[in-house]
Amino acid sequence: MITFFKQDNFFRDATVAFLSWLLLIGIYYLIPDPGIHDIIQKVFILGLFALSLNILIGYLGLIAFGHATFFATGAYTLGLFLQSNFITDYNLGALSIPIAIILSILISGILSAIIGAICIRLKDIYFSFLTLAFQMFIYSIILALVNITGGDQGLMGGFPKPPFLGLDLGQPFDFYIFTLFVSIFVILMLRQLIESSFGYGLRMIRDNPERPSALGFNIKNHKLIAFILAGSIAGLAGSLQALLDVGAYPEWAFWSKSAEPLFMILLGGMHTFLGPLMGALIFEILNDFVTANTRYYGLVLGLVILGFVLGLRQGLLDWLLMQFNRK
Amino acid sequence: MLKLINLSKSFGGIFATNNVSLELKKESINAVIGPNGAGKTTLFNLITGKLKADSGKVFLEEQNITNLSETEITHLGIARAFQIANIFPTLSVYESIKLAILSKKHGLYNMWGRFSDHSINIEANQIAKLSGLYKVKNIICSELSHGDQKFLDIALALALKPKILLLDEPTAGMGPEERWMMISRIKDLWKKTKMTILFIEHDMDIVFDIAQKIYVLQQGKVLAEGLPKDIKQNQNVIDAYLGGG
Repeated sequence: MITFFKQDNFFRDATVAFLSWLLLIGIYYLIPDPGIHDIIQKVFILGLFALSLNILIGYLGLIAFGHATFFATGAYTLGLFLQSNFITDYNLGALSIPIAIILSILISGILSAIIGAICIRLKDIYFSFLTLAFQMFIYSIILALVNITGGDQGLMGGFPKPPFLGLDLGQPFDFYIFTLFVSIFVILMLRQLIESSFGYGLRMIRDNPERPSALGFNIKNHKLIAFILAGSIAGLAGSLQALLDVGAYPEWAFWSKSAEPLFMILLGGMHTFLGPLMGALIFEILNDFVTANTRYYGLVLGLVILGFVLGLRQGLLDWLLMQFNRK
Repeated sequence: MLKLINLSKSFGGIFATNNVSLELKKESINAVIGPNGAGKTTLFNLITGKLKADSGKVFLEEQNITNLSETEITHLGIARAFQIANIFPTLSVYESIKLAILSKKHGLYNMWGRFSDHSINIEANQIAKLSGLYKVKNIICSELSHGDQKFLDIALALALKPKILLLDEPTAGMGPEERWMMISRIKDLWKKTKMTILFIEHDMDIVFDIAQKIYVLQQGKVLAEGLPKDIKQNQNVIDAYLGGG
C-alpha cells in the first residue's frame, strides 16, 4: 500500500486525484456549510488559474504578467456563448455547457497563441511588460464594446445552465462535484505534462536558455506551446468562474487580477507542483476570514506575503517539503 | 570531413575572422591556437551557425552548411562544448544527458511519457560512463566540481553522437594538474570514439602533445598551419606568439 504511493507514475497520481475528489465530496456532506463549499470551489478554480501560470513562472522561468487576459477571455466566451442565439437556434440543449467550456478553452488558446507568438520573442522584464500591455489592450476592448460585453457593468442578465449528463449546475451539489472533477482532472493532466519529456524541456529552458539551441533543440516552439497551454487552462478556470458567478466582469481582465495567481504562487511555492494550489487555499482563507473581520484586506495580505518572503524565503509547500526532506 | 573556404566575419569594420580556410581530416584531432582576440571562438560560432558569416563557405562532408541555423547544424552532426561550462544548474547530470539525447531525437515534444522512465536510460548511462561522470550522475549540476562541470558540457555534446566535436578551451580556468587530467580524458575519448575533434587551447605543451594538426590564428587570419613539429619551428609563429621561446 505504502509502496504504491511512493512510486512515481501516472496510476499513482490518478489514484490520488480520484481519492481526493471522493474525499472532497465526503467533506461536502460532513460540513454542510455553503460558505465552506464555496471556498473549496474557488480554491480549485483559482488554483487551476495559478497552476497554469506556474507552467510559465516555475517551469519555464518566464514571469508572465498578463495572465488574467486568458481568464477573462474564457469567462466572457462562456457567458456570451450561453447568452447567444446559438443555443436555441441549433437546439443544443444538454450539449450547451460542454460546448461552451470547450469553446472557452479554444478561444483562450487561440488568443494566447497570437499574444504568445509576439511576447516570447522578448526576454525578462520586456516579456513581462509586453504581456501586461496586451492585457490592458484586451481590458480596454471589453470596456469599449458595451453592446456586447456590457462594458464596466460586466456581462449582465445571466444565462441558462441546461442540465447535461444528469448534472444540473444550478444545484450547488452538482456544481460542486462538477467543478472539482474538471479541476482535479486538468491538474492530473498538468502533472503528467510537467513530468513528461516536454516538461523537462521547459526546465532546461528555465535553467539555461542559451545552451539548448547548441543541442539542436528549438526553444521557441517549446515556449509557445507552453504559453498556449497555460492560456488555455487559464481560460478554463475563467469559464468555471463565470459559471459559478453566472456572469463575467471587466475586473477579471484588469492587471490586479493577474497579480492574484502571482501571490498564490509566492504563498504556496513555485518549485513544488501543487504549490500554487496550496497558495490558492491560503489566499482564499485570507480573503474570506480577513474581509469578514476588517476593511484593511490589502494590508493583511501584504503583511502575510512579507512574512513569507522574509521569513520562509519561499512558498509554504516548498518550505514544508524542504523540512520534510531534511529529516 | 569539415572544410572552411575563405570564411570571413567582421564586427564594425574589424575582421574577427579574415579569409580563413581549413580542412579537418576524418577521425583527426586538431587544435586552434592564438592570442586573445585572435578570433578563435568567433570561428567556432561561425562553424556552428551561432553567427552568420559575411562571406565564405562551410562544408560538412560535401554538404554546404553555410549559414544554416544553429539547431540545423547541430542535427547534421557538429556539436560543441563551451569555454565556460554551459550546463543546467538545477538538473542532475543524468537528467541533463538524457535531455541532450532527447533533443537530438526530437523527443522533447512527448507530453505524455514520464521523463523518469524513458527508454533512453541505457544510452544515457553509456554516455555517463564514456565521459567518466557515471559516479556523479545523480548530483545536481551546480554542485559538481569545476572540472566535472566542464566535462559535463562535453558529455552533452557527446550525447548528440556528433561527427565533429568542437571544444572551446576545455582546460580554461584549471590548474596545471587538472589540465593534464582533462587532456588525458579528451585523448581517451578521442581514441574510444574516433570522432573528429577541433579544440582551442592556450597551453602550448598540451597542444604539441595531443594535436595532430595545428592552426595558429592571429587577428582573424591563419598565420600558420601544420604538424606540431612544423609549427614549433615556424618563424612567424615564434615571432608572433611563442615569443621567441
